[in-house]
Amino acid sequence: MLSNYAFIGIFAIAAITFPLLPLILSRFIRPRRPTPIKLSTYECGLEAMGDIWVQFKVQYYLYALAFVVFDIETIYLYPWAVAYGQLGLFALIEMAIFLLILVAGLVYAWRKGALEWI
Amino acid sequence: MEIAFFIITALLTIGAAVAMVLSHNAVHSALWLVLNFFGVAVLYLLLNAPFLAMVQITVYAGAIMVLFLFVIMLLGSEQGQEEVNGLPWQTPVALVMGLLLVVMAGYALFFPGTPVPTTQTPNEIGAPDILARKLFSTYLLPFEITSVLLLVALIGAVVLTMKSREGDRV
Amino acid sequence: MVPTEYYVLLSTVLFTIGVIGVLTRRSALVVFMSVELMLNSANLALVAFSRQWNHVDGQILTFFVITVAAAEVAVGLALLVGIFRTRRTTNVDEVNTMRG
Repeated sequence: MLSNYAFIGIFAIAAITFPLLPLILSRFIRPRRPTPIKLSTYECGLEAMGDIWVQFKVQYYLYALAFVVFDIETIYLYPWAVAYGQLGLFALIEMAIFLLILVAGLVYAWRKGALEWI
Repeated sequence: MEIAFFIITALLTIGAAVAMVLSHNAVHSALWLVLNFFGVAVLYLLLNAPFLAMVQITVYAGAIMVLFLFVIMLLGSEQGQEEVNGLPWQTPVALVMGLLLVVMAGYALFFPGTPVPTTQTPNEIGAPDILARKLFSTYLLPFEITSVLLLVALIGAVVLTMKSREGDRV
Repeated sequence: MVPTEYYVLLSTVLFTIGVIGVLTRRSALVVFMSVELMLNSANLALVAFSRQWNHVDGQILTFFVITVAAAEVAVGLALLVGIFRTRRTTNVDEVNTMRG
């Protein structure tokens, strides 16, 4: 059973090793003689000001929210599509109702202006 | 072989969970939780539920954690504050009670009064079409109610976050 | 073949870590993440039982748990944003009055 997924595992290990190995290797090989100029963030240009914690607008949250709702939709759509041949017309109607209810939510968010870019 | 793989994944999952609780930066917590979700997804693969493993990664590691990270960024200015625990005795009590829970569950699992039947060789029950056939027959009503729940969640979240529209849009 | 008991024990350990996280952390976000961890451990137990009895029902229940978790996170985080707007904090100890 597990051997079916061995390729994915090997692929994942290779994908992790590939960027990590040069980083680790260079850490041991490189000479270390820091000067203030070498340690500056940019070679040319302005130093970054303020904190890295900038506040995002709440609109971004609403986009992410719409994304989550339709992500959930896909996890039901996928098995439905795979088994569509065995399910028949009834399942089509059921899925249409499901989608309509979710689209109603999207229309609400849209009308409310939640998806407007500001 | 399989049991060794299980133990490695289980340790990784537990380690990620502990690191999630312990780390002081909310972003680090979120990333440890993502690692934990990946570990659970691998365990789903071991349990013959490949579709569920993919759902775990797309929904939990993909969507829900993105939502978490967005909110962490949204509340960004709060970061860097030291957490002050108002109830100092709570931590040791929680640890002791947690340990008790694990010991009790372990006892109940490995010293059962009635023997647990051994696992049969599993069929391919995790395949999407088998799931769909069950989902669209026996579990049809819960499936439809799910859509209403998502609708309510979407409307609720929009109402809660768009509240201060007339004044400043935060 | 890994016995079902091992999975249920792992699920218990993860659940307990979640409980300890809820009890000891004060940042509402981390408390939320611990709740997610608890839901996940319950899912793991459900899938393990689903394999044990060779029924697909446990996996379908897991689907619904994931959906409910997503809805819960959506509303819960929106509430958190609302609390943060009025109180300027997400420390669960400081949010102790019903008035905004």
